[in-house]
Amino acid sequence: MKWVASWLALGVAVPGWALPSAGDPAPTATGWEPGNPLSLVVLQEDASEVLILRAERVIVAPGRELEGASVLVRGGVIEAVGKDLVAPEGATEIRGAVVCAGFVDAWSALGIDGEALVESGTSAATRSADALDVFGSDHLRAEALRAGVVAARFQGGQPAAVGGIGAVARLDPSLDAEAALLQPDACVGMAVGLTVAGSGQYIRQPDGSFTVDSGGRAADPFDRLSQIERVASNIEAGRAYLESQVEYRHELEEWEKAIAEKQAELEKDFKKAKKDREKEVEQAREKGKEHKEKSYKEDKKPKLPKHDEDKAALARAANGELPLVVEVHRASEIRNLLAATAGFDRLRLVIAGGSEALHSAAALAERDIPVIVWPSLRGKGGADEFEGSGPSLAAELSAAGVQVLLGSGGRDASATRDLPLLTALAVGHGLEREKAFEALTIGAARAFDLDRRLGTVEVGKEAELLVLDGPPLVTTTRVQYVISGGRTVVTPED
Amino acid sequence: MHRLMLATAALGFALAPAAIGIDDGDGAAGVSGGGNGREGRAERPLVPERTTAYRAKKLVLGDGRVIDDGVVLVEEGVIRRAGSGLEIPAGAGVVEHDGTLSPGLIALHSYEGGGADLFDATRAVMETADVSLAFDPASGDFARALASGVTAIVLAPTPASLCPGTTAVVKTAGGTVVKKDAQLALGLGAAALKPNEFPTGYAAALAELEGRFADPKGNFGKAASGNLPVLIQAGTRHEIQRALAFARRFQLRGALLGSTWAEDLVEAIEGSGLSVVCGPVDPGGDAREARSIAALSKAGVRLGFALDAPARHPDSLRFAVALAVRAGMDAGAGLKALTGDAAAIAGVAGRIGRIEPGLDADLVLWSGDPADLGSAVVAVYVDGKLVHGGTE
Amino acid sequence: MILHLVTPLLFFVSSGGEAVVDSQSLTVYADVVYTSTGERIENGGVTVSDGRIRAVGAMRAPKDALHVAAITAGMIDLSGHVTTGGSVEESREVTPEIRVAGTLDPFSISWARQLRSGVTTVLVSPDDRNVIGGLAVALKTGGEKSIEARTVKADAALRGAFGSEPSRGNHPAYGRPTDFYSRRPTTRMGVEWEWRKAMYDAVAASKDPARTFPGSDELMRALKGELVVVAQAWATQDIRTAIFLVEEMAQQVEGGVRLVLDAGAETWKEPDLLKRSKAAVILPPFAHAGRTTDGAFMAWNVARRLQDLGVTIALSSHDALDDGARLAMQGAYARRGGLTLDEALAAVTINPARMIGIDDRVGSIEIGKDGDLCLWSGEPFQATSRVVGVVLDGELVVDPRAAE
Repeated sequence: MKWVASWLALGVAVPGWALPSAGDPAPTATGWEPGNPLSLVVLQEDASEVLILRAERVIVAPGRELEGASVLVRGGVIEAVGKDLVAPEGATEIRGAVVCAGFVDAWSALGIDGEALVESGTSAATRSADALDVFGSDHLRAEALRAGVVAARFQGGQPAAVGGIGAVARLDPSLDAEAALLQPDACVGMAVGLTVAGSGQYIRQPDGSFTVDSGGRAADPFDRLSQIERVASNIEAGRAYLESQVEYRHELEEWEKAIAEKQAELEKDFKKAKKDREKEVEQAREKGKEHKEKSYKEDKKPKLPKHDEDKAALARAANGELPLVVEVHRASEIRNLLAATAGFDRLRLVIAGGSEALHSAAALAERDIPVIVWPSLRGKGGADEFEGSGPSLAAELSAAGVQVLLGSGGRDASATRDLPLLTALAVGHGLEREKAFEALTIGAARAFDLDRRLGTVEVGKEAELLVLDGPPLVTTTRVQYVISGGRTVVTPED
Repeated sequence: MHRLMLATAALGFALAPAAIGIDDGDGAAGVSGGGNGREGRAERPLVPERTTAYRAKKLVLGDGRVIDDGVVLVEEGVIRRAGSGLEIPAGAGVVEHDGTLSPGLIALHSYEGGGADLFDATRAVMETADVSLAFDPASGDFARALASGVTAIVLAPTPASLCPGTTAVVKTAGGTVVKKDAQLALGLGAAALKPNEFPTGYAAALAELEGRFADPKGNFGKAASGNLPVLIQAGTRHEIQRALAFARRFQLRGALLGSTWAEDLVEAIEGSGLSVVCGPVDPGGDAREARSIAALSKAGVRLGFALDAPARHPDSLRFAVALAVRAGMDAGAGLKALTGDAAAIAGVAGRIGRIEPGLDADLVLWSGDPADLGSAVVAVYVDGKLVHGGTE
Repeated sequence: MILHLVTPLLFFVSSGGEAVVDSQSLTVYADVVYTSTGERIENGGVTVSDGRIRAVGAMRAPKDALHVAAITAGMIDLSGHVTTGGSVEESREVTPEIRVAGTLDPFSISWARQLRSGVTTVLVSPDDRNVIGGLAVALKTGGEKSIEARTVKADAALRGAFGSEPSRGNHPAYGRPTDFYSRRPTTRMGVEWEWRKAMYDAVAASKDPARTFPGSDELMRALKGELVVVAQAWATQDIRTAIFLVEEMAQQVEGGVRLVLDAGAETWKEPDLLKRSKAAVILPPFAHAGRTTDGAFMAWNVARRLQDLGVTIALSSHDALDDGARLAMQGAYARRGGLTLDEALAAVTINPARMIGIDDRVGSIEIGKDGDLCLWSGEPFQATSRVVGVVLDGELVVDPRAAE
């Protein structure tokens, strides 16, 4: 991040979001080094609860299990995982059949204020984290926690072409905004080809009759094509902005160097230059002309490119700092989108929805583009872009080699609670159980750069854990305890 | 010595039914045969060439019982014998299944194949409207239902008027109408009220139906005399209360349609003797619905589930059960609500819904416990014929 | 304080004043008990058990007993409209046979609002969007959540309206009718026409069985005086129309309509007609600015003027959400307009009970009547007093001692 370094060198304050999140301190055996300004400082202050979870099975990560193991949690961090752990003084002991990582809803509407969710006037810089509603939908978030979902990614501006910057937050209703936000800048969201319902109101026509406003944005295929072009042009604009920033840095450096050189020169040869100039001024006066000062190329200080918040956000997507999540469903649109974005080699594309993504499975697998599937129970008669989706979509994509993530659709806040059951249904339709579990845990964490903090039961990660009375994703299994932010937020009495 | 032999004989006698399983002469399973002339056939010896045997690790009987190492013998589309470890006659076809076998699922309120024909609110009362005339047996909706293990549905008119007509039990393969005029559909919820026609309010709706039942003729007469069960749609608590009072007043038997608010009225519903058709349920729905279903099940109310496809995927049936199980319902009770109890509510317990001699061979082979959403449909048989999945 | 003589009927066995409070009965004590029979009892108490009033009289309150400033009978509001969905059947204008009880939702939280403000019995009527809306029901505002359990009197009155309200939603039938509201009545005259037609048709039906129609029985009972008619009439012209029509029908049918004029804001302008007709009047909520619905002008002392004429009056609140307009405050406005405390009390208790014939069960504190009481924090119907407790059917449903 050369340009960031240059900014810092200028001594200009850099906004927090510009700090690369990849700079997180490495986990150590005993816990986090203080330094990440966004979360753990808060947790460390609240480090009272020490928990020891003893389980018949600890699912450390998809495919890695420990029999008869325990997990020690202190200060919201997993301090130790293993067999024969000794419980420290004052630790609360919790026993269960299975301990595993808490689930993450990769495409949710829970936690965001309802108006922001359906806002269509968003732009790339609109931050969904600013619309986090810590007071609303308490009961929905509690229900989701009881079902085992500990965190969710939400995105405002769902019907808009560019939704803005999405965020990932914990679902514990007792947290304030700062503690809840796991990733305030998680991704940049866009949508292509969505059917947006009309207002349903009666509108008076010129002939006096009344018709229902059925809306239907993007029903027109040309409209949808232009949306894809807009995605590409947006990313291009972001890249160009970034380049112009970098160019400006270069030019500024060079200009300053040239100025310094020239000044040095002038210092050396000051008297001579002064005499020359006086002579010229005299000559011009004799001739009756204006003396034009010699202007050096170096005098033209390079202009600072106008700061564009939106382009700056798009730049972060263009250079791969943030993943770009595009909701797109139809086969032709997915194909066009893949073609249009093929040239951006640093772009981290994620597709949400992907009802007809099977047609492009090979390309998606090859480019490592994950698809966030909403294993829905929709039938016929809804918006046509969902025609291809169903409970078997996740299985079909996964079998074709595409990395599958799972989410509750990003429209209905109460659907997050049912994500684990819908995932079980997807397993029933052929999705490998391990892949399903991975999608809900480390897969989602990795996609949004939280894999060093969540997603598995490993030392140094934050304690976002479930204690179950049976294997996860089985209908009859009940969630007994949920540990989130180091606290026990769900107990069997709830 | 005698005593020992007697004792052994007595013990053997006591154990014998368990080994033999449910057999033709054994009334332990309750109603055996369906009063449709099938008992006679059940008595004849099996013809092996026309018989298929299905062997599965677990056999869900549909009446709440699950037996291990189940064997079902089917001849010409009718179940002839079923039990644990039954002997399979030589020459019979055998289907081995390393999983669970259950009766086909029954959705108690759905619109597959019907489309717009099922919505007719031109008049408030149309008690003779017969939906069995209004569906397309070749509709793709049925194939989708089969793929989810649903072998029969109660095709119903949309509850958009006071009395939209009668329901019919239809198989999802072959379009067989198992029973027409299965229930008289009545609407006592807000959906039956209109903004611009009679009735505009609950009071007149109730008065109209009371008038019909006061001097009951035709289908109303059949319902009043107990020969035609009713299916009363009610949504909110006061609508349910009103429906229960109405059924009590005219001594109607049948079921309530609509369970979302039943949580507060469990005792009243249980005391009324009516069954409840729950749902339909969508992901993200009100948590109250699942709690109500669990509470009704715990109170012993007979339940079934509505589907209302094709607007939703047929897997919604099992999803509804899963939600109720998560809210505390027993998983076995949930399966019973999708099979044996559903058939009883629809009045076709003698034809489908259970694995019992004399009933139709509508069977589903699952990869695991059908109540677990993680189980897949492996094969579906309707009337003994393979209609989905499997390998012949 | 003038000590009133205690009415002889009213003594509990251990009349030393220490009422034995067994687990089944409840006794409430007050500085003054207003029985609505004209008697006041100072330092008295009321004992209820098994849902009924068992004793009322002078009683010395034991320590820690439930003691308030005043006790009155539970209040009765004849203008209830806690209905749900369509409370009238709007496919016809005249629906005398429709029972509003079918539209009530006992789970609605509106009942609790009424109960907490001291109203223990309401008469719920169909909305006045129909000319003759149907049969009203008198029921308690609390108790078991079922209409049957709460009903005090089913089919308590036949509801109708004169004036502009029934015609307000209808369009004229010329031009292209857009819906079934393009029908008569569209004017006041049309409303009166519907009334007269309904009544004459009912008379004809009583003579010729072939001409019966739904509601003809109810209309005949009303014409004979067996079923009370509660008719809305805000303005003078509507009051006159109602009374003249009743007088006309009295010549057709033996008996004569028992008329109660609801929302009779301008009744004060027709003293002679009122006296002649012997109609009772339910006054609407006080119009502080004077002018009300249909342009009717409600005088500030209308209650006093009617009382002086000998007209039986009841006060009503029209289901007000605003605490300042609820029935307890209507009593206060009536007192400010000249009524005495006892007259205001009668207007919210025994008078409305008598108007619809439920005074055998409610309306006053007398032994044998339902245990419905209002417990006040001060003298009733004062701006500085509130209903702080309510006893309904012998149960203390709002406890003055509970934390606010």
